[in-house]
Amino acid sequence: MATVQVCEAEKVYILHGIRDDLRVDGRGCEDYRHMEIETDVVSNTDGSAKVTLGHTAVLVGIKAEIGKPRPMVPDEGYLEFFVDCSANATPEFEGRGGEELGMELSTTLYKVFNNKHSVDLKSLCITAAEHCWVLYVDVLLLQCDGNLYDAISIAIKAALFNTKIPRVHISVDEEGGKEIELSDDPYDCMRLDVTNVPCIVTLCKVGHRHVVDATLQEKACSVASLIISVTQKGTITCVRKVGGGSLDPESIFEMTEAGKRVGKALHAPLIKLLQQEESLGKKRQKVGFLG
Amino acid sequence: MPTDTKRLRGPDVSKSPSLYFSKPPATVASHGPRADGRQRDQVDIRPIFVRCGLVSQAKGSAYIEAGNTKLMCCAYGPRETERKDETDMKCGRLITDMRFAPFSCPERTSWIQGTQDRDLSLMLQESLQPAICLHKYPRSQIEVNVMVLENNGSVLAHAITCASLALADAGIEMYDLVLGCSMRQDGASYVVDPSYIEESSCSSDRENQGCLTVAFLPSLNQISGLQSDGEMTEATLTTGVRTCIEGCYKLYPVIQQALASTVRKAAPPPSES
Repeated sequence: MATVQVCEAEKVYILHGIRDDLRVDGRGCEDYRHMEIETDVVSNTDGSAKVTLGHTAVLVGIKAEIGKPRPMVPDEGYLEFFVDCSANATPEFEGRGGEELGMELSTTLYKVFNNKHSVDLKSLCITAAEHCWVLYVDVLLLQCDGNLYDAISIAIKAALFNTKIPRVHISVDEEGGKEIELSDDPYDCMRLDVTNVPCIVTLCKVGHRHVVDATLQEKACSVASLIISVTQKGTITCVRKVGGGSLDPESIFEMTEAGKRVGKALHAPLIKLLQQEESLGKKRQKVGFLG
Repeated sequence: MPTDTKRLRGPDVSKSPSLYFSKPPATVASHGPRADGRQRDQVDIRPIFVRCGLVSQAKGSAYIEAGNTKLMCCAYGPRETERKDETDMKCGRLITDMRFAPFSCPERTSWIQGTQDRDLSLMLQESLQPAICLHKYPRSQIEVNVMVLENNGSVLAHAITCASLALADAGIEMYDLVLGCSMRQDGASYVVDPSYIEESSCSSDRENQGCLTVAFLPSLNQISGLQSDGEMTEATLTTGVRTCIEGCYKLYPVIQQALASTVRKAAPPPSES
């Protein structure tokens, strides 16, 4: 993990600030940093989104490919996650340095989406036991400034919202052979229902309180954090304790409650924003990576 | 490349035939007693068998058996750290490695560590680290290796218990033992310490389904590891965590006794005569 060195005096300063609900950058304990979302940033993907959260920048590209359904669930497609921690973000990730973090992030994403309601996997099926859509969700970390989980989950939700899967028609010839035909019309595509896609909220325990959206400095002051993925309805799809410390049961309950509250509040503005951007259509001014 | 035309070539990749069985009893009954006679909706953990010190080469080792879940753990160290580039040399490092034997699950797995194993290793490390006095072992590393011999559910929970026992057996200074317990929520009812079938069963499209694993430090009353997946409401999760803690407390005397008997065997009390 990208880390920063924070001296003891600085730690005390951050700790005392958080105790009084005032963080170094002026936020309260449950406030996010300024967030920017842009969808449809990479033309070669079926859906993409870029999210910047403070100085954390994440780019997600989704590619849909036709694959074979898993034998256990022949009538469902599936999602594949891969998180790439490139050396761009911090030199620590050079070579195999980022592999561990990338693995940790991607396995957590599998857990977050390991339920029946997040994405309607049945809609990804083309023909049962033969063909299905496989969505490759590739996450690229462009900059690291803490709170990777939240930024990634928001970017994935935005990218899934943006994903356009081409419609296919199956024609059966006389011998019973099946042929898949792609529609010629580029606008004839299937959209995914993202209402139940969860967002991750990371809560860092700093002193006796917990903060949402911790910067690297704040993260250096905390021993353990709890990541909670919450859907729009407030169901929790994944909880995980990360970091080398332990937590009191009572504080875990407090943090889950706070995480649920913050997570639930995150969804409505996000969807509204995405729909607003979508409605602009071609008129939308592209910001790109330098904005 | 010359090919053998006399024989039929098998496919390059193969899958276990069990995947293709039409499986009628995939859904476990969600009411009534469980397949192994334990009670639903109660903190009814499987009886466990634990022993320390079976591997003579290791500094500490432990074996745990809960129903058909069998795993062993070896602890090595503290020894000089291999990675010298680490900036933080004031603290020791805990290295964990968890592996499934290829024959441990119904389907054969390869010897190469997959992502699941690596994820479990990471969970194990995060669960054990808070309990170990790593500051007492500067510039050194402690290694914990877990081998799952037979997987019949709740592997991570038992691996945590087993690993902490092996560390204690190795004489590593610790704040507390770490106990693991897992549960599976299935609609309104739950099962504690689920078996492999209970773990992987998914009954219909019901809400409130998921697995939860908790690592708990009993005498400090701290949770060192928490992991859940599936879908749960906040209230379910909270009661689930409480249930798992209760399960850990049930485990505690057994583990203590196993540890005490090992110590007694290693250094028998002086006979008063």
